Amino acid sequence: MDKENNHFSTRIWLALVVLTILTYSIGEEVAAGKAVMLSVLVIALIKGQLIANYFMGLRHVSWLWRGIILGYFVVVGSMVAIAYLL
Amino acid sequence: MHTNTVVANTEVTNEAKVDEPEIQTNEDLPGDFAIWIFILAEMLVFGVLFIVYAFARAHQLEVFNASQLTLSRGLGTLNTIILITSSYFVVRSVAAIKVNNAKQSARWLLGAMALGAMFVVVKLWEFNQKFAAGITLETNDFYMYYLTLTSFHLMHVLMGMIILGCVVFKLNKGAYSAAEHFGVESGASFWHMVDLLWIVLFPLVYIIH
Repeated sequence: MDKENNHFSTRIWLALVVLTILTYSIGEEVAAGKAVMLSVLVIALIKGQLIANYFMGLRHVSWLWRGIILGYFVVVGSMVAIAYLL
Repeated sequence: MHTNTVVANTEVTNEAKVDEPEIQTNEDLPGDFAIWIFILAEMLVFGVLFIVYAFARAHQLEVFNASQLTLSRGLGTLNTIILITSSYFVVRSVAAIKVNNAKQSARWLLGAMALGAMFVVVKLWEFNQKFAAGITLETNDFYMYYLTLTSFHLMHVLMGMIILGCVVFKLNKGAYSAAEHFGVESGASFWHMVDLLWIVLFPLVYIIH
């Protein structure tokens, strides 16, 4: 069971590294624009959820805490997007 | 007779439902409740700064875009991977103490601290390059935000390393076990927050243009 949990954490770590490299490639390869901004923000949201739910262990906790972290990323991300689109 | 049974069953279900939220809430929150209030306060402060940065950028697009291109996205990415990996080490440390392996738990934390130190070295090297190029807080608004946000975050990395150091010290003294590891979880939660903030800071300051 513990081994299974550890393997699961390793997979989450791997996913986070892949998403980080993806963010880097988007920054390097793709011309600036709304698509870059939105995709990079969505990747950050996904990474934030992976860290909060699986690394911090919030998936075992009341939905309120998960909601706060998700809400944080949605609000900050939306404000950044709005500022970009102004 | 049949109705009575149904009523009795409903009562049992209701009781179970009443009990459920109590078990689900604070008891399961990893670490101390106070550290979570602290984490939320920190995230709020950073959140406001992120939004202020985004709107400041909207007013001076050319300055921000030109200055941002001078940042090393490679070093930013390297530091992201370093922090993510250190967070993973912290997860393994918590997993180890949950099976009563304090030695292993301390080792994973020392690994996480070493990665934290690597993050600091990379960041300082990056700052050094900027200072060598004559860039200061007063060069322009982009560098002002970049230097302020990243050094404020850096202070949290250092604070996190001190917290993890204290947890290692207590682990070595045998203060934590499978039954009592609140302190390990509190330190872990703080460290994950440092990672979480960088997850937003990195694309915002280094990538989005």
